[in-house]
Amino acid sequence: MSEHAIVASHLEKRFGAFRAVADVSFHVERGEIFGYLGANGAGKSTTIRMLCGLLAPTSGQAIVAGADVDQDPEAVKLAIGYMSQKFSLYPDISVIENLLFFGGAYGLGRKELRARAEEILALTGLESQRTTITGALPGGIRQRLALGCAILHKPEIVFLDEPTAGVDPVARRAFWRLIRDLAKAGTTVFVTTHYLDEAEYCRRIGLMVDGRLVALDTPAALKREHVPERVLALRGPAITSAMQLLSTQVGIKEVTPFGAGLHVRAEPGMWDEVAVQELLQRSGLLGISVEPVEPSLEDVFLAVVGKSSQANGEVSP
Amino acid sequence: MNRAQRFFLRIGALAAKEALHILRDVRTLYLALVMPVVMLLIFGYGVSFDIDQIPIAVLDLDRSATSRELVRRMVAPGEVILGAEVDTAAQGEHLVTIGKVLGLLTIPARASEDLAAGKPVTLQLAVDGSDGVVANQVLSKTEALARSIANDLVGVSGTPSPPMQVKMWTRYNPQARSVLFMVPGLSAYLLAIAAVMLTALAVAGEWERGSMEQLFASPVGRLEIIVGKLLPYLAVGMLQLLLVLALGTWAFDVPIRGSVWLLLLVGFLFLVGMLGQGLLISVIAKNQMVATQAGALSSLLPSMLLSGFVIPIENMPTVLQGLSHIVAARYLVHALRALMLKGAAFSDISRDLVALIIFAVFVLGVATARFRRRLA
Repeated sequence: MSEHAIVASHLEKRFGAFRAVADVSFHVERGEIFGYLGANGAGKSTTIRMLCGLLAPTSGQAIVAGADVDQDPEAVKLAIGYMSQKFSLYPDISVIENLLFFGGAYGLGRKELRARAEEILALTGLESQRTTITGALPGGIRQRLALGCAILHKPEIVFLDEPTAGVDPVARRAFWRLIRDLAKAGTTVFVTTHYLDEAEYCRRIGLMVDGRLVALDTPAALKREHVPERVLALRGPAITSAMQLLSTQVGIKEVTPFGAGLHVRAEPGMWDEVAVQELLQRSGLLGISVEPVEPSLEDVFLAVVGKSSQANGEVSP
Repeated sequence: MNRAQRFFLRIGALAAKEALHILRDVRTLYLALVMPVVMLLIFGYGVSFDIDQIPIAVLDLDRSATSRELVRRMVAPGEVILGAEVDTAAQGEHLVTIGKVLGLLTIPARASEDLAAGKPVTLQLAVDGSDGVVANQVLSKTEALARSIANDLVGVSGTPSPPMQVKMWTRYNPQARSVLFMVPGLSAYLLAIAAVMLTALAVAGEWERGSMEQLFASPVGRLEIIVGKLLPYLAVGMLQLLLVLALGTWAFDVPIRGSVWLLLLVGFLFLVGMLGQGLLISVIAKNQMVATQAGALSSLLPSMLLSGFVIPIENMPTVLQGLSHIVAARYLVHALRALMLKGAAFSDISRDLVALIIFAVFVLGVATARFRRRLA
């Protein structure tokens, strides 16, 4: 038994000439929430499918729960729970019937299965909806049920592929509470998402760009490393003019729309909120608030994507 | 818990889940139970067919140049052909029972002498009436032929009473009711379509819904998926078989002269094969649209055209006759007719049973082998 839950080394998947996952190496510690971030098509799902023994790697190796995913996928499957990106419950049968089916598929005996199903209903808050036909549930609740189905057999590791895609913010928060409870109880959670606010809940984050793992660390360390600049948040009228004005200034690294306002990354020695406010007022842009903010993971993501695109000789998106 | 227990537990879970799908989906039950009944009623009341090239056996007790000439002329036009020459009536009847020939023509001893002496001669023709169209054809063709040939042979024409008569009787289906042979053939046809479509849609649906990926991520094995899918539909198929047989007996007075258990065994083996064919299709096709097309084409056409249901296999070109050997419906049609109408015993249909077993094992084997528990 290795001390890490997951060890991937030089993992690679090619579909013809297309490298969906290119030379990816990382490890995931036991009991941590590991976030896997990236744009659509960056290779997140392909990585998860290889780790779950669903796709054979083209080259490289991955050890999940002590078993090689390519040599012994069956051992991997017994130790993990998987929630695929597509809605994978059966919509025409009820909540409890879905739970009993997936438990049976993992070979749980009848008594054990009944008991576990009740536990899961309580955990996911679905007790009052046990006989509801699954297809009639709102998206957020279905995702909770899908997670419930993936953890019925008490897996060591759960893989969640975009579990909150298309789910409203309140339901997303409830879902993440579940994930954190799981991790507290000792389950390793490997989760992909493209909601960067969710990634803050992860202990460590891997960032994928075009099949490559370009950054991996805790959220705080990623912010320090990739956004050493000062981040200023601008809000107020005439924000487009402010954007044009600031992007031409020396020492301003990047100006990006952020919500209704702007985020500005600036050299700490050259710019602060006072200097920016002065510049705005000199140019007649009044009534804009400028405040220093903690860089968000979105800033990290933009910085990292910008760097790696430049490395590829591409225009930054 | 040991391996075997887990194996059956997982199959049980899959089968129970599939049974729920069936019970919740009106379309499945319609496809399985209502459609065959409606089609049986429509076909049973309204269809008949035409044929030729009917093999008959000849029992020549006369053994003269005249009797040989009679037989030669009888088969010359090609409507009936000489399937076998036998030495005893028992041999001939056996050939009729196993379906090798469809009629037995007996030329009595001293027929040529009687004919030469101007005495009337009676030929005997026993016809397999379990196929009503064939029986009718054999009767009318043979009688007309016998009349003109006898006149030729004697050299007299226009005599008011023909010198030679054919006395006929039809075995198994004396009234030559076409519905009697239609029902077994139709049962096979309806079972084939429904069975193939049911499983083809069931597995393709899992691919489309994305739930197959979820199953692959669990320890459920491919054989477990195949068997778990098969069992509930087998139950539906058996229900369908009983329904069709009951309707045949009740609405069309089709007898079941042989063993009902043998009938159910044949039906069971056929269903396993057809459900397996549906599984094979959806393992390869992976979406409901393609699975529907392939399922319909591969079940409907062969079981309609190559099974002997509509066109007697004896009438087909050699190539199609050969092809019909890989059509499972062919064996079911033959066995059902033999069991229902002729009261055949186990030994009479043992070849059909073996063929159906081989077919079922083959398609299920290929389906399991082609079933990859990995995503492409």
